[in-house]
Amino acid sequence: MEILAVFSPLFAFMVAGIFGKSIGDRGCQFVTCAGVILAALTSILLFFDVGFGGHAYAKEIAPWIISGDFNVSWALRIDQLAVVMMCVINIVSACVHVYSVGYMSHDEAKGRFMAYLSLFTFAMLMLVTADNLLQLFFGWEGVGLASYLLIGFWNHKFSANAAAQKAFVVNRVGDFGLALGIMAIFVVFGSISFDTIFEQVADKTEVTFTFFGHHVHALTVICLLLFMGAVGKSAQLGLHTWLPDAMEGPTPVSALIHAATMVTAGVFLVARMSPLFEFAPTALMVVTLFGATTAFVAATIGLTQFDIKRVIAYSTMSQLGYMFFALGVSAYGAAMFHLVTHAFFKALLFLGAGSVIHAMSDEQDMRKMGGIWRKIPFTYGLMWIGSLALAGIPPLAGFYSKDIVLEAAWADHSWFGNYAYWMGIAAAFMTAFYSWRLLIMTFHGKPRADHHTMEHVHESPPIMLAPLLVLAAGALLAGAVFYQPFVGSPKAGGSAHGEAVTETAHAEKPVAHAEKPQDKAHNQTPATKIKALSADISAEMTEALETVKEMDAEIAQGTDRHIFWGKSLKILPENDTVEAAHHVPKWVKFLPLVVGTLGIALAYLAYLLSPGVPGRIARMFKPLHILFFNKWFFDELYGQLIVRNARTLGKAFWSIGDQGIIDRFGPNGSATTAGKIAKALSRFQSGLVYQYAFVMMIVAIAMVSWFFFKSGLRDLG
Amino acid sequence: MISDFNLVPLLPEIFMALTGMGLLIVGVSQGNRATPVICAAAGAALSIAALVLLSLGWDAQTVMNGMFRFDEFAGFMKLLVLIGLIASLALSSRYLTQEDMARFEYPILIIFAGIGMMMMISANNFLTLYMGLELQSLSLYVLAAFQRYSVRSAEAGIKYFILGALSSGMLLFGISLIYGFSGTLDFTVLGKTIIGLEQIPIGLTIGLVFLLAGIAFKISAAPFHMWTPDVYHGAPTSVTALFAIVPKVAAFALLMRLLFQPFADMQEDWFQIIYFLSVFSMVIGAFAAIAQENLKRLMAYSSIGNMGYALIGIAAGTAQGAGAVVLYLMIYIVMTAGVFAVILHMRRQGLAVAKIDNLAGLSKTEPALAYGMLILMFSMSGIPPAAGFFGKLAIFNAAMNEGLYVLAVLGVVTSVVAAFYYLRIVKVMFFDEPADSFDKNEGSFARRVVLIVSVLFVIGFIIKPSILYECAMHAASALFTVAG
Amino acid sequence: MIVQALAFYLFAGILTLSALMVISARNPVHSVLFLILAFFNAAGLFVLLGAEFVGLILVIVYVGAVAVLFLFVVMMLDISFSDLRKGAMQYVPIGLGIGGILLGELMIIYGGWKFAPNMSENLAAPLLRFESSSNTQSLGMILYTDYVLAFQLAGLVLFVAMVGAIVLTHRTRAGVRRQSVAEQQKRRPEDVLEIRKITSRTGV
Repeated sequence: MEILAVFSPLFAFMVAGIFGKSIGDRGCQFVTCAGVILAALTSILLFFDVGFGGHAYAKEIAPWIISGDFNVSWALRIDQLAVVMMCVINIVSACVHVYSVGYMSHDEAKGRFMAYLSLFTFAMLMLVTADNLLQLFFGWEGVGLASYLLIGFWNHKFSANAAAQKAFVVNRVGDFGLALGIMAIFVVFGSISFDTIFEQVADKTEVTFTFFGHHVHALTVICLLLFMGAVGKSAQLGLHTWLPDAMEGPTPVSALIHAATMVTAGVFLVARMSPLFEFAPTALMVVTLFGATTAFVAATIGLTQFDIKRVIAYSTMSQLGYMFFALGVSAYGAAMFHLVTHAFFKALLFLGAGSVIHAMSDEQDMRKMGGIWRKIPFTYGLMWIGSLALAGIPPLAGFYSKDIVLEAAWADHSWFGNYAYWMGIAAAFMTAFYSWRLLIMTFHGKPRADHHTMEHVHESPPIMLAPLLVLAAGALLAGAVFYQPFVGSPKAGGSAHGEAVTETAHAEKPVAHAEKPQDKAHNQTPATKIKALSADISAEMTEALETVKEMDAEIAQGTDRHIFWGKSLKILPENDTVEAAHHVPKWVKFLPLVVGTLGIALAYLAYLLSPGVPGRIARMFKPLHILFFNKWFFDELYGQLIVRNARTLGKAFWSIGDQGIIDRFGPNGSATTAGKIAKALSRFQSGLVYQYAFVMMIVAIAMVSWFFFKSGLRDLG
Repeated sequence: MISDFNLVPLLPEIFMALTGMGLLIVGVSQGNRATPVICAAAGAALSIAALVLLSLGWDAQTVMNGMFRFDEFAGFMKLLVLIGLIASLALSSRYLTQEDMARFEYPILIIFAGIGMMMMISANNFLTLYMGLELQSLSLYVLAAFQRYSVRSAEAGIKYFILGALSSGMLLFGISLIYGFSGTLDFTVLGKTIIGLEQIPIGLTIGLVFLLAGIAFKISAAPFHMWTPDVYHGAPTSVTALFAIVPKVAAFALLMRLLFQPFADMQEDWFQIIYFLSVFSMVIGAFAAIAQENLKRLMAYSSIGNMGYALIGIAAGTAQGAGAVVLYLMIYIVMTAGVFAVILHMRRQGLAVAKIDNLAGLSKTEPALAYGMLILMFSMSGIPPAAGFFGKLAIFNAAMNEGLYVLAVLGVVTSVVAAFYYLRIVKVMFFDEPADSFDKNEGSFARRVVLIVSVLFVIGFIIKPSILYECAMHAASALFTVAG
Repeated sequence: MIVQALAFYLFAGILTLSALMVISARNPVHSVLFLILAFFNAAGLFVLLGAEFVGLILVIVYVGAVAVLFLFVVMMLDISFSDLRKGAMQYVPIGLGIGGILLGELMIIYGGWKFAPNMSENLAAPLLRFESSSNTQSLGMILYTDYVLAFQLAGLVLFVAMVGAIVLTHRTRAGVRRQSVAEQQKRRPEDVLEIRKITSRTGV
């Protein structure tokens, strides 16, 4: 089953990628959608089985590299963390696939687009189901590649190509850190397999590296290197500049990759490596500071942008900051919880924005929108749901997850926890504000678009709206439903850590049924195979449903989050902020909601009731506005400091090093030399037989003389 | 009178000799009309000889007054020779009629050359060695000049003959020096004599030098390779195929038996010669081929280069190295047979052509042939997963284990250079404007079978490389069990 | 002993000189004649060694057959050896140099020649059984027993040489008159003879 969940997108990609021409656009769309939907359904089953059944397992597929002490296999690690991610990825991806059928209907390369989407889905699944760091890195680079391809999908646009390159190059910085981190792990632990690493962590806390004569704590170094990778991929402050530019890609791509899934890979990485981070408090502090600062800075930028997609992009960055500081205070469950809810409402917002853009004839500037809410009421309603969820208004998903994140930060009772809490509150206020700024500028007020565009404003086709409904359902309900299992409830006792009795009972359940389809399908004709497979699947469905019923009963009894996460997350007892988060003062709990409502109210005041206010405020705080509007001058700074110098250096290397030395003496030089030698040798081949004989004699005598000479030396010596 | 008189291990050779003479009688009475029949019969005879060979017990034994040695190594190499002979006969059959040289002596000479080669492989005495060598050489001289109305063919025959005589002279001179020192022609006795020596006298070393010079000519190792391009170019293509495929195996078997058995204790000396020959062969094989326009000449240099790689395995001097050589030769003959099947197919308006340019655009005119050639060329240049890669891998591996880093690195470097001309053929076939297509309906069934088998072998080798590798290792280890 | 030594140096000296003349004589016929002289001297050396059979065979086969054949060929073909030599002359200095080196080396090697310690046992092995018989007899015995394999192989080599010679030179030409015994035997007077009565003084 896990094979089906992970590899059907790959299969779809291959079919659409290789046979795209012959099966046509329709065929590609069908194959890829079917593949991903199938993956989504199976991963939901897996979620119930593993998440509530506690059947975490790892399945080895094939050996990969065996070289000395370095053994790596292709293996799927299906544990709670993985299935949560798989569900998110596959469901959002399925929605985006279906949505793209409508959104890209005017595009020429539909097949290619769908194939790339499936490739991305597969790579992301590889990333989250990896059983070792190398496979994770494979997925990590795979999503990077797919992201590059999709950002630059409209390759006739110069800006799209530039953005794709920027994303790739900036990510390279992070990947460099990740690769170094993996190597460092191999040095310290002698393995890159998760199980082996996690088993040894407790023994390795005292290990140090010697670096320029200083002893540095090995685990801290490793964690910081890994976090560097996460910073790149999850667009945290410093390496975030690629994310807003990535909005050059088609909107479904932005929804899938740059909001819901790929950018959360960094969060996933830290959560996955939680057993290491737990022993590296310094690294956790750095993570918190990065996350909190990002959340704040991104929100300030989001206040001032006019491009609808960029606003949402900065909002994504800001929300990722939330997740990171949650990780930093050891509230891994809370971070994952926010990741899941965020995936739903942010994908919803992006796809809704896509729907708006679609309606406005590809216009993205909010200053040229407005007054269209009556024409596209459906989209309008969905955007409201998304925005409410984002702003953290109960009972939508964002309320639950954002609150627990902030509470956990406060409950950490450290200076950086407090910093994160207040930064988070500020960001929450701004989030609510810019969300309604977006809503109001886009849908309300006087129409600012030209007459022609306004006439063409139309509701999107059902194929685009249906996925939005699924996501909206997620945005509405995900918070309430998953609050209990993901972060537990105040009622559950804090004593049960990890090895609860119920869990061990479930762990004994055989996992064998996962392999059933393969066993039975062996040596059968395709038709019967499919029948057997579908029979198996339906059998499994019923089985899974029964399990779900059992689970429900248990949930009703108050399932502990420790039972849900099992061993996939590790939290030291003294760091258990999620537990503490349930026992914070009331004002801590209510402050986010209050500032959220305040932000909404202010936005109404400023943009709908007295439209002159924003301009006046902007003038009043001119320096601040300039700073925010220009995104804190990160791009300019990098351009001046790094990009320009790097270009000069690159040119120098290219003209002097590459062309002047390597090409001249390398390929070109050796090629001409080889040609010359060949000419010389063929001139030697005169065709005259006595010359040949002569050569043979000379060589024979030369060899004789050599031995003669040697024996002479020997006799003398 | 002789204690170890036993003809059983010689049965394949005896059978072949008798069949050869019988077929000659048939040929004389029936004339050239009978050529196709005799070709087929010769093929059948070789196959039967192979079966006879397989049915013998392959336990090591020395018979006929110690002159003839039969062991697993000899058996395996003979099998390779017989397969090579059958393949080259299959490649020839149609070509003979096309080129108007369908004379019944052709298959018979091949059979006799085969007997000579098998004698070389089994030689345990300088007399058998020399007789076998001359038997195969003489047959091959005649075959080279077989197209006697063609000036080129006659030239090839004469050149081969004169230089071959010179090399035989060197060989004999070397043997005479060795005999003069030890008083014996028998390998076993010679080996014992050499083991007992405290210091190798220079006379014996010089004898070995001349001996190796003579054999180096036979395997066309540079710088004794000068005849190769001219003879390969001039001889009828089917004969060139034969030259390229089979005699090398026999000469290599001979070389390995000599060096690993009687001269095992002179490794210090022969190592230097083999090293030198190997380096020269690899370099010349790689570089000189670049300038070639003719496929047959190209294959000549290619075979020189390949012999250089195989010599690395001998230089390693271990059972692993010897096994690698056997494996390498096995893969080499299969690939070469396939390539020559393609070359023999190249005919335009009834005339054989062999320029590289003639292959232009083959992928459009005859895609199946082009893809077959593509695979063979990839294999030749040692690109995985084709079989050629594994041969080189085994060789370089053996060299590395013995610390012969210079040879291994040079081998890799020259492989890269050689890849240039192999891939140039691919480029010409796939990316150049199509030339006129080759004559249709000229392909022969047997030739097609050779090509298909060759391509399948090259691709399929990866499925279970260990089988043939184990076989080769096992065969080669037979050389060491007695010597050690 | 002294007689033997004298005979050896005489034969060997003449052999070397005549071999030198074979390649340096201007007239090819002279070359062949010197070759015959060389063969004779080699035969003399064999006799000195006590190998009278080999020596006489050398005379009979090489002098009587091979060299005479050469002589015929040289006389029948109009080959100008001086033309052939023209190009080769420029290589003489290098050739002499290299030959000189080889000669020097070989002389040093032979000068300090060492035999294997067990050389005499090795040598004696095949000879022991034939102490009492004559040279010819022992050769015959050993050829058909110990060396039967080599002997048969030599036979095959000669056989291939014969086949090869025929393959490369034999051709059937049209218009060549050839005796066919069968044809001759089949002829009947009726087929070829016609008897006419001719009256005298009228002509045919």
